[in-house]
Amino acid sequence: MLVALGVQTTEEGSGRRELENLLLLTGTGDREAFGLLYTRTRGAVYALSLSLLHDVQEAQDVSQDVFVRVWENAPGYRAQGSPMAWLLTIARNLALTRLRQGGRQVGLEPEEWEAIPAGLPAVSPEDRQILQQALARLEAEERRIVLLHAVTGLKHREIAGLLELPLSTVLSKYHRGLKKLRGLMKGERDQ
Amino acid sequence: MNNRELEQRLAHAVEQTAPNDLDAILSRCGTQNGSVMEMKSRNNIVDLQENVIEMVPAKSKKHWGRWLAAACAALVLLGTGGGGLAYYQSCAVASVVSLDVNPSIELRVNRGERVISCTALNEEAAAVLFSMGGGDDLKGTKLDVAVNAIVGALVQAGYMDSISSAILISVEDKDQERAQRLQQELVASVDGVLQAQAPGTSVLSQVLTMDAPALNNTPYDSGLSAGKAALVRKVMEMNGTIAADNTDAFDKLAALSVEELNDLLKAGEKRIPIGKDAAAIAAYEYSGTLALDSVVADVDPELDKNPPHYEVELKTAWGEFDYIVDAFTGAVLSGQKDLLNNTPGGGGQTVTPPPTSGVDTPVFPDTPVSPDKNVPQTPSSGAQDQQDVGQDAAKQAALNHAGLTESQVTGVKVEREWDDGRLEYDVEFWCGSTEYDYTIDGHSCSVLKHELEHHLYQEGTHHNDSPYGGAGAASGTGTDASFSDIGPAAAKAAALSHAGVAESQTTKMKVERDWDDGWLEYKVEFKSGGMEYEYTIDGVTGAVLEHESEWDD
Repeated sequence: MLVALGVQTTEEGSGRRELENLLLLTGTGDREAFGLLYTRTRGAVYALSLSLLHDVQEAQDVSQDVFVRVWENAPGYRAQGSPMAWLLTIARNLALTRLRQGGRQVGLEPEEWEAIPAGLPAVSPEDRQILQQALARLEAEERRIVLLHAVTGLKHREIAGLLELPLSTVLSKYHRGLKKLRGLMKGERDQ
Repeated sequence: MNNRELEQRLAHAVEQTAPNDLDAILSRCGTQNGSVMEMKSRNNIVDLQENVIEMVPAKSKKHWGRWLAAACAALVLLGTGGGGLAYYQSCAVASVVSLDVNPSIELRVNRGERVISCTALNEEAAAVLFSMGGGDDLKGTKLDVAVNAIVGALVQAGYMDSISSAILISVEDKDQERAQRLQQELVASVDGVLQAQAPGTSVLSQVLTMDAPALNNTPYDSGLSAGKAALVRKVMEMNGTIAADNTDAFDKLAALSVEELNDLLKAGEKRIPIGKDAAAIAAYEYSGTLALDSVVADVDPELDKNPPHYEVELKTAWGEFDYIVDAFTGAVLSGQKDLLNNTPGGGGQTVTPPPTSGVDTPVFPDTPVSPDKNVPQTPSSGAQDQQDVGQDAAKQAALNHAGLTESQVTGVKVEREWDDGRLEYDVEFWCGSTEYDYTIDGHSCSVLKHELEHHLYQEGTHHNDSPYGGAGAASGTGTDASFSDIGPAAAKAAALSHAGVAESQTTKMKVERDWDDGWLEYKVEFKSGGMEYEYTIDGVTGAVLEHESEWDD
C-alpha cells in the first residue's frame, strides 16, 4: 500500500528534503531533476487544480501551466518552508486566475462528474468509485480539503494556510468529508 | 475502511488519473527567471523602432536556453516568413500601455492585443502585482482584461481612495489610429470599473508617439513608465525647466504622484511642490510625533487650490489631527502643535490660517477644519473616520474567524496601523497554548491574513502515544516534546458547556482521546433531550474544533 503513497509521504522527513533538492536543482536548469519533481508532485498539483476548477480539461491545462511556471521560477525558490506548499500556491493562483478570466462560477451537478473517470481505462473500478464519490458528492471545500490531505501529505494547518481558511474549519470539513465518503463507500458496497 | 485507508485509496486514484505529459511541458519550458519577481529598469524597455524583442535571461543557463534566445532573436532580425513570422508576430510588441497612480505598471501587448509582459516599475507596483504572479499571470490575456484586473487590485490596495485619486493610462504605438482606439477603449473600461468601485477617481489618458522623448532611454528615469515620464515632461514644458534639461527638476517631479502632477498642470503652477512624504514629515515635526512609530499620516495633495497645500491627517492613539502644510515651503499653516505636551482635551496651541490678500479664490481649507477634530480624543469617543471599523469590530472579526469568544482568549492585543495606504488592525490573542495573529482590514473588517501557532508547554504530561512517535507534531519541530493535555474531564466540560446542557441531563456519554495528524483531540459524544451531540475538542486548548447535533432517531 505504501507504494501508492509516493506523493503522500513526500512532505514528511526525507521526502520533503528530497523535494526541496529537486526544486533547487531545477532552479539550476537541471531537466532531469525537473522530471523527477514532476513525477513526484503531478498528482498533488492535479488534485488541487481539479478540486478548484471542477473541469478535467482545464485542470489538465492548468497542471501543465503550473509546471512550466515552476520551471521558470525555480531559480527564485528559497529553501524555506514547504516545497509542496510553494508548488501548490502556484497551482492555486493559476487555477483561480483561470476561474477569474473565465468569469464563471463553477458548480457541476453530480451527474456531470460521471464522465470524469470513465475515460480512463487504467483506473481500477474501486479507484474510479472513490474518486467519483469524492468529486461528485462532497461539498467544494470538503472536496479540496480531503483531496489535499490525501494526495499532498500537507498538514491540516498547511492546508488551512493554502486555502486561507481557519484551522478549525479545515478540521471540521475534513472529518465531515471523510465521514461522508466512508458512508458513501459503505452504501455502494451494501447495494 | 478507516480514514487512512480511504485516503490511500483516494491518493492512488488521483495518481492514476493525473495527466503524465512531461514531454509536452518540457517543450514549453524556455528560459528561467532570475527571481520570482523581477524589477526592470527603463533601460531594458523594448525599442519599438528597431523591432528588437527583449530576450534577457537573468543569468547564464543551459545551452538550449541560449539557443532558443538566439533563434528567437534571429527570427526577428532576419524577418523570416512562414512559421517564423507567425511566432514573431505573436511575440512582437505592438503597443506599450502604462498605468500610473503611485504604482507604475507597464504592459506590452502584441497585435492581437494580448499581453506579452506585465512589469512592475516600482516597488509599490510589485506589491500590487504580487497576487498575480508578479504580473506573469496576465501573460496571454486580453489587454482590457489585464488592465481591469490591475485596476481592481489597485482599488483593493487602497490606491484609489481620496489620497491618490487619479490614474494615468498611456498608450504608445507606432500605429496612431490603433493607439487612439486602445486609449478610448481602455479609458471607457477603466472608468466603468472605477465608477463602481472608486467613483472619486479621475482617469487621465494620453497617446504617445514613437518619437516622444519619453520613449528614449533617459539617464534619470529608472523605475518610471513612459507614460509618467511624458506627463513629467509636460509639466516641465509648462514650468520652463524642460529647456534647461534640468535633471533635478525631472527627478523631483517624477517622485510626485499622478494626482499631484495633474494638479500642477491644471493650476499652471510652475513651482515644484515638496511632495507628500515631506508634507507628512512637516506635520510629524510640528506635532512632535516624528519619533512615534504608531502615528501614521494620510496626505492629500491640494495643489490646484489657493494657496496650494497638502492636507495631512495624523492618526494617533488619542485621535486624528488635521494639518495644512504649505506645498512649497513645508510650513505648517494650520493644526495642533506639540501633541505630546498637551493632555487630551487640553487644547494645544493651534495656529490659524494666515490672512490671504490679493486673491479672490476661497481661502483654504476648502472645508473648514472642525475645531472638534483638533481636540485629542480617545478611540472610543466616536470621532473616528467613518470608514474605520474600530478596534472592537476588528477584534470581534478575528475572534469570529477563529471560532472563539472573548472569554476564551487571553493576552488580546489590537494595533491600528497603515500599510500601503490601507488601514489595518493587527489582532493578537492566545487561547490556551495557541497563539493567533490576525490582520483585519480597517475599512471592511475582512480578514486579510491569519496565522496560528501552537506553542509547546514544557510542563504537563508527556504523551508518547502520538502516531508520530511522540514528536512535537503540533509545532512541526520533530523533537520530543511535552504537551499540556486538558484531560477528558475538561474536554467533556467544554462540549457540555458549548451544548448548554448539564452532564446529569445526558446519556451515553463517550469521551475518546485521539491523535489526528499530530493534533491531540478529544471526541465527545452524548445524547440529551432527544438530540445526539458529537464534538471534537482541541486536546491542548479546549477549543471546540467541530460540533454536530442531530435529532436522535
